[in-house]
Amino acid sequence: MTLLKWLGLGAVVAACLGYLVVSATGSSAEYYQTIAEMRAHPASGDVRVLGIVQDDVSRTDGGLHVRFTAADAGQTMPVDYRGALPDIFRPGIQVVVDGRVGSDGVFHARALEAKCPSRFSSAQSQGTPTR
Amino acid sequence: MFLAELGSAFLLASFVLAVLSGVAGVVAGRGGDLTLARVARRAFYAAALGLVGASGTLLTALLSHDFVIAYVFEHSDRSLSLPLTAAAFYGGQEGSLLYWALLLALMGSVAVAAAAVSNPGTTAFANAVLAGIVGFFLLVMVFVASPFALLSGTPTDGLGLNPLLRDGGMLIHPPFQLAGYSAFGVPFAFAIAALLSGRDDAAWVAQTRRYALVAWGLQSAGLTLGMWWAYHVLGWGGYFGWDPVENAALMPWLATTAYIHSAQVQERRGTLRAWNFGLVIAAFLLSVLGTFVVRSGILPSVHTFAVSPLGTWFFGFLVASVAISGGALARRSGRLRSPQPVDASPSREGAFLLQNILLVALTAAVLWGTLLPLISGMTGRTLVVGAAYYERVSAPLLVAVLALLAVGPLLPWQRVRGGWLRLLRWPLAAAGVTLAGLVAAGVRQPGALVALPLVAAGLVTCLLEYGRVAVLARRLAGPLPLAAARVVARNRRRYGAYLAHVGILVVAAGLVGSHVWQQSRQVILLPGQSVTVGSHTLTYEGMAAQPAGDHSALVARLAMGDETLEPARLTYPSLGGQALTHVAIRSSPFEDVYVVLAGADGGAAAFTVYVNPLVTWIWVGGALLILGVLLGNLVRPEVERERVPAGLGATVPAR
Repeated sequence: MTLLKWLGLGAVVAACLGYLVVSATGSSAEYYQTIAEMRAHPASGDVRVLGIVQDDVSRTDGGLHVRFTAADAGQTMPVDYRGALPDIFRPGIQVVVDGRVGSDGVFHARALEAKCPSRFSSAQSQGTPTR
Repeated sequence: MFLAELGSAFLLASFVLAVLSGVAGVVAGRGGDLTLARVARRAFYAAALGLVGASGTLLTALLSHDFVIAYVFEHSDRSLSLPLTAAAFYGGQEGSLLYWALLLALMGSVAVAAAAVSNPGTTAFANAVLAGIVGFFLLVMVFVASPFALLSGTPTDGLGLNPLLRDGGMLIHPPFQLAGYSAFGVPFAFAIAALLSGRDDAAWVAQTRRYALVAWGLQSAGLTLGMWWAYHVLGWGGYFGWDPVENAALMPWLATTAYIHSAQVQERRGTLRAWNFGLVIAAFLLSVLGTFVVRSGILPSVHTFAVSPLGTWFFGFLVASVAISGGALARRSGRLRSPQPVDASPSREGAFLLQNILLVALTAAVLWGTLLPLISGMTGRTLVVGAAYYERVSAPLLVAVLALLAVGPLLPWQRVRGGWLRLLRWPLAAAGVTLAGLVAAGVRQPGALVALPLVAAGLVTCLLEYGRVAVLARRLAGPLPLAAARVVARNRRRYGAYLAHVGILVVAAGLVGSHVWQQSRQVILLPGQSVTVGSHTLTYEGMAAQPAGDHSALVARLAMGDETLEPARLTYPSLGGQALTHVAIRSSPFEDVYVVLAGADGGAAAFTVYVNPLVTWIWVGGALLILGVLLGNLVRPEVERERVPAGLGATVPAR
C-alpha cells in the first residue's frame, strides 16, 4: 500500500516532468545546422548556424553593430548582428549565430556565441602541427 | 629530455602497479585472502606515489621551461607568471588527466587505508575499482595522450596561455572542479565494492556518505568558483549559461545532493538501500559522461576542447562503467529489498524521499536538454535547446525543493503526531510576512513572489534549529555561550548541514534576484553624455589608450556619483587582434553595477551597462555552504545519540 502511494507520487512527478520537458523543448528547441543544411531545409523559426568568420568584418556604432561573412564547408552566408561581441571574436574563429535569414538574404542574428579558446588548446596552437 | 623520460617512466610504473593492484584486489576480495588484499593496497599506494612523481616531474618541466616537451611548449611561455605557469599543469588535456589521476589515487589511498582497518574484505573490492579507474587514466596517458610527448626540436619559447585564461580564476576554479570530478570515483568504488562483497551494512553508509560529501563539497566549490569567474571575466552579465560543459558539472552535483540526504534515511531507518546505490553510481556515471562530452567535442558547446581521440576512449570507459555497475546492481537486487518501506505520510524521511524524486527529475531534465543534440542528431536534423528550456523546466522543480527545505527539517522521523500545521507555524508566518512585504513594495514578478517567501521560510526553519541550541545549552552547566558551543560541537554534522542549508537559501535568493530584476542597456556615448540604468546614472568622461607589453589597452572612464568606473578593452595583435574585456564592477550587498566597454568608434564609446541585483549573495551563499560542509565534517563527528528507533540496525557506527 505504502509502496503504491510512492509509486503514485513518482508517477505524478514523472508526468509533470514529462509535460514540462515536452512543452519547454517544443517551445525553445531550435535546429542546429550547417549553412548547407539551412539552405536545403529552411526552418520556419530561428536556427543556430555554425560558421567561420571571414576577413570582411565591418563594425559600426562603436562596435555594437557588425556585419561579416560566415563560411563553412565551402558555403558562405552574410551575417548581421547588433550587440556586444564576445572578446575572442575576430576573423578566423568559429561562431554560432542564432537567428534567421531575412528577406534581404542576410542572416540576422539575435545572438552570437564565439567558441571559447579552450583551456585545452591555446588560440595560437590551433592548426599548428607540433608533433 | 631527461625530465620527459623520467615522467614517462613514472607513468608506466604507476600503470603496471595499478593493474597489479586491480587484479590482486579482485582476487583478494573473492577469496578473502587478507595477505593478497594488503599487497593490492600497497600496490595502489605505490601507484599513487608514482603519480606524485610524474606530477612533480611535469611541474619541474613547466617551471624550468623545458620546451622540448610538447605539453610545456603548448601551454606555457617565458612571459607567464610563476603561478600561471604552475597552473598549466592542469590547464591542458594531458596535464588535466594527470591531475585527475593523481587526486583520485591520493583520495583513494586515504579512503582505502581508513576502510581496510574495519573491513578488509569489502575494501579489497573498492581498492580494485579505484585501481581500475586510475589504471584507465594511466592507460590513456601512457598510450594515447602523454603529458611527456616530445617535439622534434627544442623551441626557444612556448605558445603561452590565451589571455582570457591569464587570470586569477585559472588558479582556483579548474583545480576544484577537476578535484570534484575525480572525487566521485571514491564513493562509487565503495558502492560497487559493497555490491560485490554483499556487505552493504551501516558501516558502508557512513563511509560512502563521508566520501560523497568530500566530492560534493569540492564540486560545490568548483561550480561556485566557475560562476564567479565567468561573471567577472566574460562580460556577458551572467554566471551560468546552461552550456553542456556547465551542465556536465551540475548533474553529478545534483545526484550527490540527493544521495547525501537519502543516506540519512538509510542510517536512521535502514531503508532506500537500492536507491542509494543507484544515486552514488549515477553520480559517478554522470561525471564520466560529462568528461566524455567535454573531451570529445561531440556536443555543440561554446567551450570547444581540442578535438582529440580521447572521446572514443572515454566512451569505452563509460560503457564499461555502466556494464559493471549494472551487473553488480542486478546481481544483488534481490538482497537490497528494504526491510520496511518509507511511509507515504508527512515525515522527515518522506520529505527526503520527495526531495530525492525532485532532484532526480531535475537531473533527468538537464540530461535530456544536454543530450538532445545527440538524440535528435540520429534522425538527421540536430535540435538544440537554450537557457529558456532549462529555466522553464527547472524553475517549478526548484521551487518545490525550496518548499521542502523550509518544511522538511521540522518534520519528525516516522510520522507527525498532532497537528503539523502547528509545527510549521513559524516558517508559514515568515513566508506570509515576506509575501505581504514584497507585494506592498510593488513587486509583481511571479518568480520573486513565489520563491522569496519560500527562502524566508527556509531561513526561519534553520533559525529554529539553531534556537534549539540555546534550549539545550541551558540544560548544561557553565556559561551559556560556552555550553552552546559545546552543543554545536557535539552535533557538528547537524549544525554544519543547517549552515549549508542557509548557504543554499542565500544562493537561491541571489539567483532569483539577479534573474528577476536584472536590467541592462546598450548605449553609445560621447564624452559628457550619460546613461541611466535603474537608479544609477553613469557619465562618460573619456577614453585613454595605454600601450603595454604584448597588448594595447583602451580604458574608459565613467563617473557614477563620486566613484569612477574604468571598464577596459585590451587588444592582442600577436593573437590576430583578439580582444579582452575588463569588466568594471561596483558591488554592493544589494546590487552590482556591471559595465562592459563593447567598443570605440571615433570619439564615441559603446557600453553595455547591467544592474545585477543580489549577485553577491550567490558568492556568499556558496561560501556558507562550503563552510557548513567543512564544519560538519572536518573532524570525525561524535555519534549522534538521539531517538534512534531500535531494531532497525542502521545507526551511525563509530567508524
